[in-house]
Amino acid sequence: MSLIKKIGLIALIVIIAIQFVRPASNKSRHILPSDISKVYNVPASVQSLLKNACYDCHSNNTNYPWYSNIEPFGWWLASHIRRGKEELNFSEFAGYSAYRQRSKLFSVGRSIEDGTMPVPSYSLIHRDSRLTKEQKGLIIGWADKIKDSLNNANK
Amino acid sequence: MKNISFAIVIIAIALAACKSSNNKNVAQNKINDSSAHTSGQVSPISPVNGILHIYLKMKNAFVNDDDKEAAKEGKGMLKALNDFDTSILKDNERKQFQDMAGDMKENAEHIGANAGNIKHQREHFDMLSKDMYDLVKTSAADEKIYVDYCPMYNDNKGATWLSETKEIKNPYLGKEMDTCGSIKEVLK
Repeated sequence: MSLIKKIGLIALIVIIAIQFVRPASNKSRHILPSDISKVYNVPASVQSLLKNACYDCHSNNTNYPWYSNIEPFGWWLASHIRRGKEELNFSEFAGYSAYRQRSKLFSVGRSIEDGTMPVPSYSLIHRDSRLTKEQKGLIIGWADKIKDSLNNANK
Repeated sequence: MKNISFAIVIIAIALAACKSSNNKNVAQNKINDSSAHTSGQVSPISPVNGILHIYLKMKNAFVNDDDKEAAKEGKGMLKALNDFDTSILKDNERKQFQDMAGDMKENAEHIGANAGNIKHQREHFDMLSKDMYDLVKTSAADEKIYVDYCPMYNDNKGATWLSETKEIKNPYLGKEMDTCGSIKEVLK
């Protein structure tokens, strides 16, 4: 066997072996009492945008694409989801302090405005997550409105 | 034989990629900001002043459009907040402080990690300023603090900041429009 063949064989074995190391999936059947929709008014139009553009990484319920079943893509996704939920998890929003909620809603608006969210590489693959100018305005207006109501409540 | 050890290395790397790193805190421990070490005094207000002074240094960095200096203060503030001894607080104050501090830490962390992206740093400074206002309001500062307001920042949505000087120096618009704003309130 030539060296190239040997390396190829080993690479194949590694690729097969890693398929058995699967990350836990981010799926929850229930909507938690701490879900943002349980404590604040989320209009249906905004809710569906959040679901398509944000919830894959910012909630307890990811709508997995087919390639998530292939490693190492599944791992890569899992690490994105973990970091996304750490930063903001809409499923656990009510558990945040009023200060944190205020900051998070502010950041929702700014990151959509700046185009840093949804992450461009994610939108490249997930067409549903691409937001039109009007859709962006809808989410930003909603987030800023709740943020301002929190601001006033704190004073 | 070489190939087998090569394969072992690949598997080891693959497995290591599954684990999350726990080394985040190590780097933070190296940062040593003298203003964070004013505790140990009788007044429970002093540690809050330590945080306020880091905030004011950060504010002045933004006035000068200095993203690197702002990042340095962001890291310093994160450390000061982590080191804050909440046992000096009354029970009813502790929860509120922890809520405020938790949010401030996140904002300080973003400012600390985003040298080179002053726009993003300023967004978090906007939020940090709101928390800082609440913190100073509830605990009172040792000195006169001006609450300034700039109506133009963030597409005319406006933003506030705290300042030690009566003179307006805008940290959001920086050198571009450093005198934009007015005094909204004076905290003592």
